[in-house]
Amino acid sequence: MDVRTAKKKFIGQRITRNEDPRLLTGQALFVDDVHLPDMLHAAFLRSDYAHARILSIDTSTARERTGVVAVYSAEDMGDFWQEGPLLVPPPTSVEGAIFHKRGQIPLAKDKVRHAGEPIAVVIAHSRYMAEDALADILVEFEPIDPVINLERALGSDAPLVHDDLESNLAAHVVQEKGNYEEAKAKADLVISRRFNIDRGAAAAMENRGVVASWDDKAQELTMWDTTQAPIPIRNGTAAMLGLSEHQVRVIAPFVGGGFGPKIMMFQPEEVLVPWVAIKLNRPIKWIEDRRENFLATTQERSQVHDSEIALTRDGRILGVKDIFIHDTGAYDPYGMTVPLNTQCHAMGTYDVPNFYTEVKMAFTNKMIVTPVRGAGRPQGIYVIERLLDLATKELGLDPIEIRKRNFIPPDKFPYEHNIIDQAFTPLILDSGNYQPLIEKAAAMIDYEHFINEEQPKLRAEGKYAGIGIVAFIETTGVGPYEGARITVGASGQVNVVTGVGTQGQGHFTSFAQIVADQLGVEVRDIHVVTGDTAQFHWGTGTFASRGAVVAGNAINAAAGNVRAKILKLGSKLLNVPEEELELAEGQVRVADLPEQSISLGELAVIANPLRGTVDPGTEPGLESTDYFGPQYGATAAGVHAMILEVDPETMMVEIKRYVTVEDCGTVLNPLILEGQIQGGVSMGIGNAFYEQLVYDEDTGQLLNASFMDYLIARSTDMPPRIEMGHQETPSPLNPLGSKGAGEAGAIPVPALFAQALENALADYNLEILETPLSPNRLFELLHKKEN
Amino acid sequence: MKLQGEYKFDGPRDVVWDLVRDPDVLAKALPGTQSLEKVDENTYEGKMNVRIGPVAGLFSGKLVVSNEVPPESYTLNVEGKGGPGFGKGGGDVQLIDQGDGTTLMTYQGELQVGGTIANVGQRLIETVANSMAKQAFESLNRSLQARLIGEAEGVEVEYQAPSELEFASGVAKDIVGQLFSPEYKNVWITLVVAAVALLIGYALGKSESS
Repeated sequence: MDVRTAKKKFIGQRITRNEDPRLLTGQALFVDDVHLPDMLHAAFLRSDYAHARILSIDTSTARERTGVVAVYSAEDMGDFWQEGPLLVPPPTSVEGAIFHKRGQIPLAKDKVRHAGEPIAVVIAHSRYMAEDALADILVEFEPIDPVINLERALGSDAPLVHDDLESNLAAHVVQEKGNYEEAKAKADLVISRRFNIDRGAAAAMENRGVVASWDDKAQELTMWDTTQAPIPIRNGTAAMLGLSEHQVRVIAPFVGGGFGPKIMMFQPEEVLVPWVAIKLNRPIKWIEDRRENFLATTQERSQVHDSEIALTRDGRILGVKDIFIHDTGAYDPYGMTVPLNTQCHAMGTYDVPNFYTEVKMAFTNKMIVTPVRGAGRPQGIYVIERLLDLATKELGLDPIEIRKRNFIPPDKFPYEHNIIDQAFTPLILDSGNYQPLIEKAAAMIDYEHFINEEQPKLRAEGKYAGIGIVAFIETTGVGPYEGARITVGASGQVNVVTGVGTQGQGHFTSFAQIVADQLGVEVRDIHVVTGDTAQFHWGTGTFASRGAVVAGNAINAAAGNVRAKILKLGSKLLNVPEEELELAEGQVRVADLPEQSISLGELAVIANPLRGTVDPGTEPGLESTDYFGPQYGATAAGVHAMILEVDPETMMVEIKRYVTVEDCGTVLNPLILEGQIQGGVSMGIGNAFYEQLVYDEDTGQLLNASFMDYLIARSTDMPPRIEMGHQETPSPLNPLGSKGAGEAGAIPVPALFAQALENALADYNLEILETPLSPNRLFELLHKKEN
Repeated sequence: MKLQGEYKFDGPRDVVWDLVRDPDVLAKALPGTQSLEKVDENTYEGKMNVRIGPVAGLFSGKLVVSNEVPPESYTLNVEGKGGPGFGKGGGDVQLIDQGDGTTLMTYQGELQVGGTIANVGQRLIETVANSMAKQAFESLNRSLQARLIGEAEGVEVEYQAPSELEFASGVAKDIVGQLFSPEYKNVWITLVVAAVALLIGYALGKSESS
């Protein structure tokens, strides 16, 4: 056996979280907990217009207000005013792709392109003073018609969001596998529909926030930031400010939820706060309020799809065609991650031989779109699952049967799709076994029993109850890489440091479990540090459901190296071959004679001698740094099922039962995994029936920028219990065999909800072709049907 | 957002016409107006306090009268902005002589709002706008009565414009009134919301008097 692998004692266990005592007793540091002497506060003047030319900005009155220290508009920024970078590469690896980069800008200069775009920043002794001074700033606007509707955005007479472009087309990517048109010609059944998908908010409990402090004597900048990507923020901030990376420390402390928008880098507030801190040589704090979060934190989901499926009479998919417009908002700093994910998920779990996908990405006068938990995947899954549901009805098949007939069979993995994914590598599904997932989910929810016995009974009682079952994949764990350093201290305590940030994923526990298995120490004795660039220098961040896969395997590799060091030194000191040693209870000991042992603390001291000599090439201490970068992403999968009941008078929907069966490879900690799924499902239920950001088509105003009007799904909207099953198909792409699960819960819910609703309202023969729905919208759809 | 409605003034058309073209009278009739100055024959500039649900603030703006056909009709365009956002609208106003000594005013127009009032106050804008219009007309009508009595008796009659407090409670009443319309079937929800609306009215009154 390779010394770098240990027996699994802790991986896979339901271990309660190391971080919870601190979080639950208020000991955890969040950005707003940072209070520094002489700290000033920032408030941003944001555009009330969605689209307007700025004729003049007059900040003179604001500057004179009591408590105001400084006011800056774009003009005051000089050379520091720059268009932000492209955060992911352009889709050049796809032949014929068009992409126009328009990065986010720190403060609007001659034009505002979405309501909520920052125009000026006021620095004052308190946030109250700063906000009062915002009303003193005089901006003269010349309003322009806003571009809101997606199809009109690409029309030839649409006003231009970016005047230097010929149209509002931000990008155009066509990808094809096989030949759809040939497949269509042979089909027994072709179904085409238009699907409308609208925006929602990530709505993390903690809004964004930045504190920056410049130490003039040390010439060092420290930034506390609610970011999911502290190391790229450190690198980018240093570059923008003309500092070396070593002069900038970015700390992403505890963050109250990321869900995607906090990976979005170099947002205006993040760029300006450190710049002002250096300029004024005073610490500056900015904490986003909820209205700012609605207006100016990135959002996701809006797309319009014209989709088509071609099938044989017995329900086998011959091909899928999907042409869609993707709304990128006012700028496109995040490239095409979201629409590429949509393209890569529009074949779902199925063996689709012919696929044509075309996306036109449109600039609009709405907030920028970047990934939000799901990141384009829910839209792709919505399209394919809805198409299959429509086919099911046409062919008189069973929803489970049609899926089983089309699943990629287990012997076809790794399965090559021959299109490019969000990481610009060919889309290959590394592993999977889908049929048992649907069988298990169907058994858990008693599918047959419900259809044959319960539902007829409920119908007879006048109840509109329905069942749904859908399957999905999630591409996870993408590269490029993450790293970790593991050190055994003189007290025997193990320190694990990694570059990714943490926003509630339980990293302090699941990462500790990996190390605990390698080093034979208790999970509670392992101290994990994330998101501090002074502690670890390399990495990219927490996104794309990659923490457990990429950082997890880097930690596993570094821990394996430390294990090897311990065994080598232990073997020398105990005079026993390495194979006869074991690591347990914080000791290295002879497996058969446990009393012959040395504690890891003692060993750490010996490994770091104060005097004498060491062998050539010896690295001091029980420490190792290692990295992991997968060849390509690991693909997770799952099947969700639900039973719901519709109140025919109020159109409210009650979810009676909810079942998930997920396969995310090796489960590190079922408790944490179930928490992730639970959170994802609740977000998905919001996406399906409650949460919609409503923009006025005439004015571009966001009409529900508060929790009074934006209906976030509450605990009372959840099913009484989410029943979860697991299946483990380890990924062959990483030693732990893990796959991501952070986004999975949210992905299939809108598609599942639509199927279950149609089933419940079978009498009306309703077709649901849009998401999110709402009781109002459901009423309208039924009313239209009745007339 | 479309605005339209009508109001019957208890007085002859000529007097009503003079009234609605008098900035001092208008300033008094529009609740929350701090100032309204005539800039030229057809343009007025002023400042006004507006409160829509949780959003409140001072707006400064411009009012332009055009297409004037005395005493029958005119077009009104309004533009205003302030801390809580902006509003822009326009509409046509007709004064119809009813032949019985009364005058029917009809109006139809459009209003666009942006910023916080649109983001957060959306649900209440229509009710508040209608309520403001209604109260302004009632106030104008009282002013009209005062003027008519004054003319008849040859004395100046002092007209007392409503305070912002009276206005705020009027808005609260209108919100409650709307909730009791037949589309709200659920009595409990209505009662709870009504209680909240009354509390808001009470709180506004408190903050106004303090």
